[in-house]
Amino acid sequence: MDLLLDFIIVGLSIGIVYGLVALGISLIFSGLDIVHFAHGEVYMIGAFLGIAIVSISGVPYFGALVGAMIVTGAVGVVIERVFYRRLTRGGGGYTVAGMGMIICGFGMSVALQNVAYLIWGAAPHPYPVSFGMPIFLGNIALPKSYLYILVSALVLMAVLHTFLTRTKLGLAVRAVAYNKDTSYLMGVNVPAMISLIFGVACAMAAVAGVLIGPINYVQIEMGYLMLLKAFAAAVVGGFGSLPGALLGGVVVGLFETLCAGYLIASYKDIYAFLLLITVLMVRPTGLLGIIVKVKA
Amino acid sequence: MLTIRNLRTGYGKVQILRGIDMSVAEGRIVALLGGNGTGKSTLLKAVSGLLPVWSGSIEFNGEEIRNRKPNVIVRRGLTQVTQGKDMYPAMTVEENLRIGAYTRSDKAGVVADMNKVFDYFPVLGERRRQLAATLSGGEVQMLVIGRGLMANPKLIMLDEPSSALAPRVLLDIFSIVNRINRNEGITILLVEQNVRMALLLAEYGYVIRDGVIHIEGDARDLINDDNVRLAYLGGTVADAGAELAH
Ligand SMILES: Nc1ncnc2c1ncn2[C@@H]1O[C@H](COP(=O)(O)OP(=O)(O)OP(=O)(O)O)[C@@H](O)[C@H]1O
Ligand SMILES: [Mg+2]
Repeated sequence: MDLLLDFIIVGLSIGIVYGLVALGISLIFSGLDIVHFAHGEVYMIGAFLGIAIVSISGVPYFGALVGAMIVTGAVGVVIERVFYRRLTRGGGGYTVAGMGMIICGFGMSVALQNVAYLIWGAAPHPYPVSFGMPIFLGNIALPKSYLYILVSALVLMAVLHTFLTRTKLGLAVRAVAYNKDTSYLMGVNVPAMISLIFGVACAMAAVAGVLIGPINYVQIEMGYLMLLKAFAAAVVGGFGSLPGALLGGVVVGLFETLCAGYLIASYKDIYAFLLLITVLMVRPTGLLGIIVKVKA
Repeated sequence: MLTIRNLRTGYGKVQILRGIDMSVAEGRIVALLGGNGTGKSTLLKAVSGLLPVWSGSIEFNGEEIRNRKPNVIVRRGLTQVTQGKDMYPAMTVEENLRIGAYTRSDKAGVVADMNKVFDYFPVLGERRRQLAATLSGGEVQMLVIGRGLMANPKLIMLDEPSSALAPRVLLDIFSIVNRINRNEGITILLVEQNVRMALLLAEYGYVIRDGVIHIEGDARDLINDDNVRLAYLGGTVADAGAELAH
């Protein structure tokens, strides 16, 4: 019983982290009409930036979280402006640039990994923070980082939801996600909004990286598996749906932790994809997927 | 108010407009007619900034607006209501109207204008908290016109507001367009396939064909002009023959 509770809390936390990365992928997909294959590397860069910031003496863990968000968001905006947007010069915007954009995403993923290698090397880095004693729930000892993951993610969700539904800028972001030409005619600065969407998505990935840092080591290859898991989460939840991305993350996280706990632990990374295949067979649009728009 | 001179543009390498000259005087309703695929929507997109212009000039209130960004042009008071009834289905009616007022910071004015839209289109007021996806075709047309009004424009370009509407709704829409022009003093450039209705409403009309303005004149004269009917048919020999034999 204690074991089950332990698995659930761990699975939930890991799942929320998947969900945060998946949320960014979904946000970029709905806003830019592209599947961003370098998002795992953005998450990795975010995690390293978190270490770099927390290593500055006097900066607390949550300071590093916010700092990594801001810097990674800015890096994202630069990537979008300098590299991806070039591909849309032929006209028609991101939707038309489709295939080239996917290849460019793969290239960016390799490039970011190499940049990270040059700066931080190939060795795994432990996270230089200590949260003190774990919390005891009955017989189980729960490291505080799981608590931090739950709290940070909830706060972030609330902020993002309020932004999208209650503010004028959030309304514009949703408008751009649905139809760029119409939104341009409404007076929305569409190119700026695209940068904003991309930056926010990258900031989310950074949060995931900083949150998972204290649980796992941080290393330059961590992005690849995360991308696959987050992708599975996004598809399970319903691609392009923001609540779906988070739900998908939690479902994937819980499922793989429980399976690894009670079945064969060494197959941990396979369970997510078993789930993915099952969901696609039973419900191809994902759990919360509704076809609200037809992608070109 | 709006003066277009020798405007040329197209998509990629394909030229659609081959030198359009037209002007819209302040306070008027001006009709822009032409068959399917003659470039009416293309002209509106060029004016509103969605489509890059190759050459020529577009002057709005004395300012050259050619190839300015759409979000800049809206702020000058020139709004386009597109043909596709492009509302945001996942937003409520009210949110759709609020995004129309995106460029404005006068909160009181926005509220007043939203009430004005609800006066013109009471059904939108009844459905204000409903998702736009649940509206009927006619209601969507009302919504996109209302959304255009929310920008507080000086000139509004309406692209085929009557398309795919039942005759009753169509009459409603046209009479409201007329009232908007009279009461609000908003100049209207009306693109239409419904030639007769458009010319009854407008004071002046242009007929576009083969990428140029083929015929222009006072609406009353155009309505009796056989050439308008011919040009409107799209101008194939077979069409013309059938029409003449008739
Ligand atoms: N995005 C586009 N890319 C390439 N060609 C286009 C594009 N949009 C329109 N065209 C072409 O430009 C021509 C003019 O189209 P346009 O939409 O301006 O016609 P229209 O006069 O508005 O017709 P309708 O009354 O049917 O709306 C057509 O031949 C059309 O096929
Ligand atoms: Mg058209």
